[in-house]
Amino acid sequence: MKTVGIDVGGTNADGVLLEGESLLAKAKIPVDHDNLSGVIIALLEKLLGDNAGQVDQVHLSSTLCTNAIVNGEMDEVGMLVQAGPGLNPEFLDCGENLVFLDGAIDHRGGLVKSPSAALVDAALADFSAKGLQSIGVVTKFSHRNPQVEQDLARQAASFPHVTCGHNLSGLPNFPRRVYTTWINAGLKTRFQQFSEAIRTGVKRLGITAPLSVLKADGGTIPLERAEAVPCESVLSGPSASVMGALALTPREKDFVVLDIGGTTTDIGLFADGVPLMEPYGVTIMGRPTLIRALNTRSVGLGGDSEVKWTEDGYVIGPQRHGVPAAFSKGKITGATPSDAMVVLNRMEGNRERAAEALRLLLPNNPPEETAREVLLSFGQNIKRAVEQMVEDVFARPVYTVSALLERQRLEPTEIIAVGGPAEALRSELAAAFDLPCEVPLNYEVANAIGAARTRPTLSASLYANSSDGTLSIPEIGLHEEIGRSYGMKDAEESLAAAIRHLAAQAGLEGELPPVEFVEREEMNTVRGFSATGKVIALKAQVKPGLAGV
Amino acid sequence: MTKYMPRAVRKTGLILFPAFDWCITPSHPEREERLLYTRDQIVEEGLEDVDGIEFFNPELAEYADIDRVHLCAPSSKALLTESHLISAGGAIRAAKAVMEKEVERAFAIVRPPGHHAMQTVFGDRGFCIANIEAIMVEHLRRHYGVRRIAIVDTDCHHGDGTQDIFYNDPDLLFISLHQDGRTLYPGSGFQNEAGGPAAQGYTINLPLPPGTGEEGFSMVTDRVVLPLLDAFKPELVLNSAGQDNHYSDPLTNMNFTAQGYARLNKAINPDICVLEGGYSIEGALPYTNLGIILAMAGLDTSNVREPDYDPRRFVQSALMNGQIEGICQNALDIFAARKKWDTGVRRGEEVVERKSIYYDTTGFGVDQVRHYKLCPDCPGYTEVEASGAGELMHGFTVPFNACSKCQQAARDAFARAAKAKGPREQVVLQDRVADIYETV
Repeated sequence: MKTVGIDVGGTNADGVLLEGESLLAKAKIPVDHDNLSGVIIALLEKLLGDNAGQVDQVHLSSTLCTNAIVNGEMDEVGMLVQAGPGLNPEFLDCGENLVFLDGAIDHRGGLVKSPSAALVDAALADFSAKGLQSIGVVTKFSHRNPQVEQDLARQAASFPHVTCGHNLSGLPNFPRRVYTTWINAGLKTRFQQFSEAIRTGVKRLGITAPLSVLKADGGTIPLERAEAVPCESVLSGPSASVMGALALTPREKDFVVLDIGGTTTDIGLFADGVPLMEPYGVTIMGRPTLIRALNTRSVGLGGDSEVKWTEDGYVIGPQRHGVPAAFSKGKITGATPSDAMVVLNRMEGNRERAAEALRLLLPNNPPEETAREVLLSFGQNIKRAVEQMVEDVFARPVYTVSALLERQRLEPTEIIAVGGPAEALRSELAAAFDLPCEVPLNYEVANAIGAARTRPTLSASLYANSSDGTLSIPEIGLHEEIGRSYGMKDAEESLAAAIRHLAAQAGLEGELPPVEFVEREEMNTVRGFSATGKVIALKAQVKPGLAGV
Repeated sequence: MTKYMPRAVRKTGLILFPAFDWCITPSHPEREERLLYTRDQIVEEGLEDVDGIEFFNPELAEYADIDRVHLCAPSSKALLTESHLISAGGAIRAAKAVMEKEVERAFAIVRPPGHHAMQTVFGDRGFCIANIEAIMVEHLRRHYGVRRIAIVDTDCHHGDGTQDIFYNDPDLLFISLHQDGRTLYPGSGFQNEAGGPAAQGYTINLPLPPGTGEEGFSMVTDRVVLPLLDAFKPELVLNSAGQDNHYSDPLTNMNFTAQGYARLNKAINPDICVLEGGYSIEGALPYTNLGIILAMAGLDTSNVREPDYDPRRFVQSALMNGQIEGICQNALDIFAARKKWDTGVRRGEEVVERKSIYYDTTGFGVDQVRHYKLCPDCPGYTEVEASGAGELMHGFTVPFNACSKCQQAARDAFARAAKAKGPREQVVLQDRVADIYETV
């Protein structure tokens, strides 16, 4: 099977052509952020030449949606939000067209009161008068009962785009649901244009293979399906690098992946060979969301970071110094880790200028010694960031006695480093962590390989209350009645069916990777002094992994 | 973190541990489901993302933490499950978070509760075995050198266990607001219960008539609780934050609300809260807990209300207001007349107190005699003999604020009692000054 992986970064776009696990070709072109589809098509052309027709699938990791959010190029969205009792919702900051509706849904998904029709009508009339194209509807607890959101969506059906909160995620967290819905609705026009341009361009090149885009959760989604959920393609870069490291060095143990760049280092964690996920989702432009994502952290440490000397030792980053002295001309104004690497002959560059830059830090220290110390300090800083991340994962809230007693801290046994300066830093990283550090072959195109090798991911959540007789699987908009005897086995069947439904909706053909059930909760409900039923919560996922070859 | 989420005025820690796999019995009020809806509400509100609200997992308390407070028969190891150690450890984690300045305020939303557990413990009473506030208090004193502490117990049931443990401690002001003991378990908490011989006026009971609502709670808060806290000047204020004064609670008869709990908490402004009772698990706890958290963090509580809340339903009668005014006046008089140990007494003189303690969960009684040994220089040590359920406990307790003479006297008395020990008898020295628990 021939797969193309494209990773659009901040400066360059990388492309690889794989046959199974082996790399047939790679290509790189500079990025024009105003014409991403053009960049991707040009890269495909350069990568494939005359072989376009033989490709079996194309996977894209693009910065389109991330850039649209960061640059404020989203559609104006008309937001209808029912907050109900709780935190005062006035803090929610999602554009000029946010209307709070009355009524509420309670924590068990019971409808306390529907929003009054007059408010809804007035809001929609106002959105329409303003010429808004995209509508977002969100209620608190819609993951327990999507009916109000569904009703509102029906009433807003005359607008070209409507996003419902419950369709995007079955997880709790109302503010995140609001922001996710807003972002998704706001990205629709841009993503659609992008998608159409890609399809046209690909057709012109003679590529007939199915197109998928990379998600932040280390999985893929067919391009066509992504038009309905463009928010899923936000921040796919770190997920490409994590999956790339896994593809280059597959192993089944606890390990750390470092993607070391010019300005930042992205850190990813693996437990037993599986990448760890964020508990809820990514935070983008300060807004927390329910966009499923791998647990990655970006720290301001890179080859081009500014290095300073203080009483407490070297301070590296988080500011970027600019182009390192070793690679530039003109006045030398400061030192970077890259200069240290050049001084130690671990990287090509102007060694004289690099040494000069290090002398700015400590005039009386031989540059080689300063260089070694800077790189050691770099390794230590990364180690501290990883330790903090491991601690944060360990400290995530648990809710049962058994879970509390059985908690285990992640114990990394190896470091996998990719990115430009990775090879040059290998010995310092190994020393800092006191662990083996591997820099895999082809690490400079790890992200594109990650994009290529990634398989689809899916997830769905179920909440059943046999005492109230209701079942809810928000991702597929399901809200139906169940009998008193509904149990965990039934829940597994309902969820497996939901996953199949989502797979079909996404246009995924063939056999799915195994569905895994996680986060089981089952509790008897008692009213008065007798059992009335059960509350069951369950999640199912096809977790991120490498596609078979 | 972000300007797109609210920012807490005071950094507040939450130890949210609903123990979904622990119950007394499957249909008992203290069952797995109890904090399910509270957890669901807190998570759905997005509190994990609010800047300045931090979540912590509980630690496991050590048996030494339990033995510093309780005299357990046959032993703390035999009586407590891991769940109890986690619940007590949750309270300790809250204290640690505040003392080590990880946060300014902390709330342990944990179960099982603790405020009915007395000094001697023979089993479970009122859903409690280990008094998690008391364990936290002695932990604070031992590990952080805190001395003066005020506990405001706002559970609807009288905090008889906490009262019992600190009854003779003038460095601890215990104020309990509860439904009148003539109408509710445990049937105590009257105003004449005002402290042991060395701490008279340091236990303040405010038994409120059934039906008391926001108005009544505001009155006792403004007229009694706040002035007493001002006068006592504690280093820390703790709130035993039971939530069963709520109008929808199935076990009680009060008329309090989520708005009321939030206001009460704002007024008392506790450093640390520990959840106690509260059994309206759907209609009250999700909202009252949220109200308390937001109040602690200094966030807007105006939108925290029960879905069926209507303030017009909670107007109090003039008769009830008059009754509560009387209770307030009594409390003020008792506190005004407070006195610590009496310097006129001679060492070795004693005051004897007899008590019958009923363990309702399994149904047995314990008879107890406590001897308060008076001292001109300190609160003095206590000797307690308690028997029931086939166990006989004979304990000597040296309080943390005892003088060295009393400490020595207790040791001597313990040694004598150990020599004369009967066959079923367990003799214990609980020395909080030296942090020793010795049993023979």
